[in-house]
Amino acid sequence: MRLSLTVAAIAALLSLPALGHHGWGGNDGEIEVTGVVETGLSLSGPHGTMQIRDGEGTLWQVTLAPAPRTHRAGLREGTVPVGAEVTVHGERNADPDVYELKTRRVTHGDTHYDVYPPPRR
Amino acid sequence: MADRIYALLVWLEASALGEAVRGAGVWAYGWLNLAHILGIAMLFGAVLLLDLRLLGAWRSIPLPLIARPTVPLAAVGFVIAVASGSTMLTVNATGYEGNPFLYAKLPLIGVGLVNVAIVQRLGAWRWALAGHAPRPGDGAVLAGAGATSLAIWLAVVSCGRMIGYW
Repeated sequence: MRLSLTVAAIAALLSLPALGHHGWGGNDGEIEVTGVVETGLSLSGPHGTMQIRDGEGTLWQVTLAPAPRTHRAGLREGTVPVGAEVTVHGERNADPDVYELKTRRVTHGDTHYDVYPPPRR
Repeated sequence: MADRIYALLVWLEASALGEAVRGAGVWAYGWLNLAHILGIAMLFGAVLLLDLRLLGAWRSIPLPLIARPTVPLAAVGFVIAVASGSTMLTVNATGYEGNPFLYAKLPLIGVGLVNVAIVQRLGAWRWALAGHAPRPGDGAVLAGAGATSLAIWLAVVSCGRMIGYW
């Protein structure tokens, strides 16, 4: 019984579409969002994260690269202070109810931080 | 139930351990991840060898000879994987609320441990481990134990790998 349940669970896992934060798969087109930093950059988890609020009051979850890569792009905790205006260029989460950006580039003032290289044309 | 899980995740994230790892530099999570995968490699590699032997592979190698390296390696790998994995969870525990793979994985680990306890009490296992020739029916019991164990740990590793993709 336990065995058949486990086998069913594995079959269910294998049939799931590959979604998620490791690829660019679950995203839906590149956009730019300009907003004010509400939660400063954190480099402590599997990915860098921060939150910005746009002019319409929407709070965006900004997901960056893994911490070492985000750090190498020049972004440190505190590089962009809370309250600063930034423009984030990236891919929008495919779920229209989830305001999340997978970040390619962060622009603060005149400085660009390229977290992932821009796409080749 | 959901509230109690959330409260537990909040407590984990607020723990001194979580605080320490978050302040330990940009590579800290990567190092933990490395320890976790090494622990899994030890655990699953050892489990795979032992369970395939129980299922009937390499019959010319006596079971005690395979059990001697694989059982302690699996135990050490398990401890490394649990220590590194729970530390990884404390970094951003509330971010995993509602993650079905995590919610499936943790009870499955419990099922795996119960299975270990059951196998260690099986007459067929104790008899074979003492170096005796198998009695009639022992082979089927041990094969069943091997198949059950392999299925459980395969499910645990699969769920673990998928947590980040949810």
